[in-house]
Amino acid sequence: MCGIVGYIGRREAAPLIVEGLKKLEYRGYDSFGVATLGKGIELAKHQGKISEQSSSTTCLNGKTGIGHTRWATHGIPNEVNAHPHLDCLGKIAVVHNGIIENYAELKRQLQSRGHTFRSETDTEVIVHLIEEEYKTRKDLLFAVQNVVPKLKGSYAILVIADGEERLIAARYASPLVIGVGDREFFAASDMTPILEYTERAMYMEDGDIASICKEKLEIFHNGKIVTRPIELIDWTVDDVKKGGFAHYMLKEIFEQPQAFYDTIRATNLDTLFGVVSRPSYITIVACGSSYHAGLIFKYLLEEACSIPARLEYASEFKYFPSPVEGIIIGISQSGETADTLAALKQAKSHNCRTLAITNVLGSTISRTADATLFMRAGPEISVAATKSFIAQMAVLMQIINQLSGRKCGDMLLHAHQAIEEVLLMDVSEAVTLCKSAQSIFYVGRGPFYPVSLEGALKMKEISYIHAEGYAAGELKHGPFALLSPKTPVIAICMPGETYGVMISNIKEMKARGAPVIGIGNEGDTELPEVVDIFIALPRTPPFVQVLTSLVVFQLLAYYTAVALGQDVDKPRNLAKSVTVE
Amino acid sequence: MQAVILAAGEGKRVRPLTRSRPKAMIPVANHPIIEYVIEALLKNGIRDIIVVVGYRKEQVTRFLNQLDIPIDVVVQDKQLGTANALQCAELKIKGDFLLLPGDNYIDPQSVARIKGIPNAMLVKEHPNPSNFGVVQLQDGLVTSIIEKPEHAPSFMVSTGIYSLKKEFFSCIHGNDMTDAIASIVETGGHIQAIPADDWQDAIFAWDLLKMNRRLLGNLPSGKEGVVSRQTTIQGAVKIGKGSTIGPNTVITGPVVIGNDCIIGPNCCIQPNTSIGSRVSLEPFTYIGNTLVMDDTIIGSHSRVMDSVIGERCKLGDHTSSNKATGLLDIEGIVIRSEFGAILGDNVTSGPFSIYKNSIIGNNTIIESKNSVISRIIPDGSLVI
Repeated sequence: MCGIVGYIGRREAAPLIVEGLKKLEYRGYDSFGVATLGKGIELAKHQGKISEQSSSTTCLNGKTGIGHTRWATHGIPNEVNAHPHLDCLGKIAVVHNGIIENYAELKRQLQSRGHTFRSETDTEVIVHLIEEEYKTRKDLLFAVQNVVPKLKGSYAILVIADGEERLIAARYASPLVIGVGDREFFAASDMTPILEYTERAMYMEDGDIASICKEKLEIFHNGKIVTRPIELIDWTVDDVKKGGFAHYMLKEIFEQPQAFYDTIRATNLDTLFGVVSRPSYITIVACGSSYHAGLIFKYLLEEACSIPARLEYASEFKYFPSPVEGIIIGISQSGETADTLAALKQAKSHNCRTLAITNVLGSTISRTADATLFMRAGPEISVAATKSFIAQMAVLMQIINQLSGRKCGDMLLHAHQAIEEVLLMDVSEAVTLCKSAQSIFYVGRGPFYPVSLEGALKMKEISYIHAEGYAAGELKHGPFALLSPKTPVIAICMPGETYGVMISNIKEMKARGAPVIGIGNEGDTELPEVVDIFIALPRTPPFVQVLTSLVVFQLLAYYTAVALGQDVDKPRNLAKSVTVE
Repeated sequence: MQAVILAAGEGKRVRPLTRSRPKAMIPVANHPIIEYVIEALLKNGIRDIIVVVGYRKEQVTRFLNQLDIPIDVVVQDKQLGTANALQCAELKIKGDFLLLPGDNYIDPQSVARIKGIPNAMLVKEHPNPSNFGVVQLQDGLVTSIIEKPEHAPSFMVSTGIYSLKKEFFSCIHGNDMTDAIASIVETGGHIQAIPADDWQDAIFAWDLLKMNRRLLGNLPSGKEGVVSRQTTIQGAVKIGKGSTIGPNTVITGPVVIGNDCIIGPNCCIQPNTSIGSRVSLEPFTYIGNTLVMDDTIIGSHSRVMDSVIGERCKLGDHTSSNKATGLLDIEGIVIRSEFGAILGDNVTSGPFSIYKNSIIGNNTIIESKNSVISRIIPDGSLVI
């Protein structure tokens, strides 16, 4: 999601806008830019973090300005594609949030009339259209009023022009709010950048165009002046971002069905064919949760496609001789994980083909790898990965689907329904058991072994209860000594070849006095008899069972941490992305 | 001005549709009912909106998050009643405010009528007043209000929409709004009654069809997705992104079709039909006056009329669901009703199944060639 900020008033605009953009960081971004009315239009655009690049931006002059954070959807993230965009003469600057659907057609027309386009964005057509109108009459409001009817799609735009000390704002189907201060005005995608300066807000309606000068604000609708009420805002910045959920993590858990579906839809099988055309060998490098995603991938891939796969912790990869054949897949949510980057670079130097899977368009990893597949999870704020993990699984499962000759059919397109189903579950009984536990053991076989690892990771990450995941058969080789009534075991026991042996494993654990929570299939009659607490997952194919059991573990970890009063979103000692070795 | 929308209650009488959502979140004409309420407020310039959530609160909150404007969410832990729900929002109330149920449709004009008048309620005549708070009026003021009386003294009912002052909180005794209003009226306080224009409540699941008809009337047409050139479209028809409409399909509006649907070829969609997203209608299927929610598949050669079909249902070929009249026992009361089928979420039914005036619970499996007439099948059943 992009974010926009504008200012006109008595203060220096640039530092204020940069601060405002920082407040919009939570929407996610990969590049940003600011333009002010100083000596002509002054412009600064950067790729990357605002905090790292702000110094060259804040020194722009002028008391009127606009700024933008971009989360790339069309066109790669770089300085050229970053907003604000200028017209051919550099006299008009525009920032835009939304999508112009008819931009290709408009762009062709404009190019045939001699306009030069610098970027690949849809936004640039707006500024060239304004330029044309502005030539006939030097009135920016008039120009925007004439351009807006030509645009199809959604937009919130802010425009400034050299020689006019005013800010023009227009919106249609993208959010835009105006903050009313004392002889100063603010405009932004939401109230977060504005709240620090004023609590008086004016929301623009679809089709409104505002002409904002230092002393005066006028709003036009269909060419007529209208008034919009001023509202007093009394909520805090944090409320906005969590959108009513108690924690980001819970919000993100509930966004998973959408994240999975969007990622499956976006990971086009036809383009995938070019990227991974039946390699002889696959190596996966990753850290943390992504490593677990890689391990699930390895299990499912080898079973479905009979392609040998190897998985390494990115941090350990360098201690092995580099693979010489096949493809190397690096998985990183942020795309900035230092170890994973180093591993990919090393593989590349040995002439291996590299593929990155990441959530952030234009992140370092996507520039390092030969090809990149993006997950469509949207920005993830909670440190514990939830929806990005599910979106990673979506990309990886789609790869398997492609390599296995599309064996999955439309199963993956319906998988989000099963996730939705799991979100309706009540895990309170299991939470009561877990919250007083000393240690928790997660066990499973086959692909459910890495699921157990991930479940245990989530639990220790946020509830601080010691938890370990094991392959069910391994428990007997040591950890059995630790079992006691204070160490619940969470066992995944799905119908299939592992069912019988899992049941006998569970019985052995019960015999050592450990309470067992069994995750099984709906309608199972044997498992509920054996375990203390039975959690039933909807009946689905194995691929989907992996997803549903992951989601149950997330819910379990979340509610346990909440019951213990932990700070779920910012667990102690942890950072969202690890950018050092 | 502020507004409080109540969306905490499940809405037991519209079961089985409330398994994964409260009544306020049931999609009618492809938008949850609460969205129409929020829209009516926004059209009146009311943007400071507080929603009280409870039953399935995460699902409601997630939806509210997708809206353009920030909405304040308050949680009611136990669903004790409407006045109790309002009390959950007390700390956020600064002055005069509107109170609205999230599960009733209200038009913006009616909101405009009441918003400036403190201590008022919107009232409307209803043919079955016994399901509501029945009010008696004199000179535009409320003289009495009785909650769900067996013998209603008038046809005028409270819509549950109030315009109140902050002081109202000190008048709340008991858990229900009707009690609170009754005690104000009894102690000589004034509550103005203002007639509502268009207010719709779906008391029972089949009432959703009427609401659907009403709301489809406001529908702007628009076609995205891929529509075959051999498709015949008449009237107001809205087709979402990514949907494909096969050849020789006939669609007669008002009809709305969501995103990523696969319709036809050779289907016939009759007026007053809402189809959610990712739905597939297999060839030669005839559907009309029906509400189909997301991810459902309706088999070929089916005829589905006057029905509400939940999410993720899989109906086999030659399914027939036709309007019939019968008596059904809903929450202990026997009610005369007329519709085809009400299907909960994830109902799987085999080929040649027949429904007449039947309610099928969530996650039910119905094997082929069964006919279910004037019956309620509970959640999770297997019909052989």
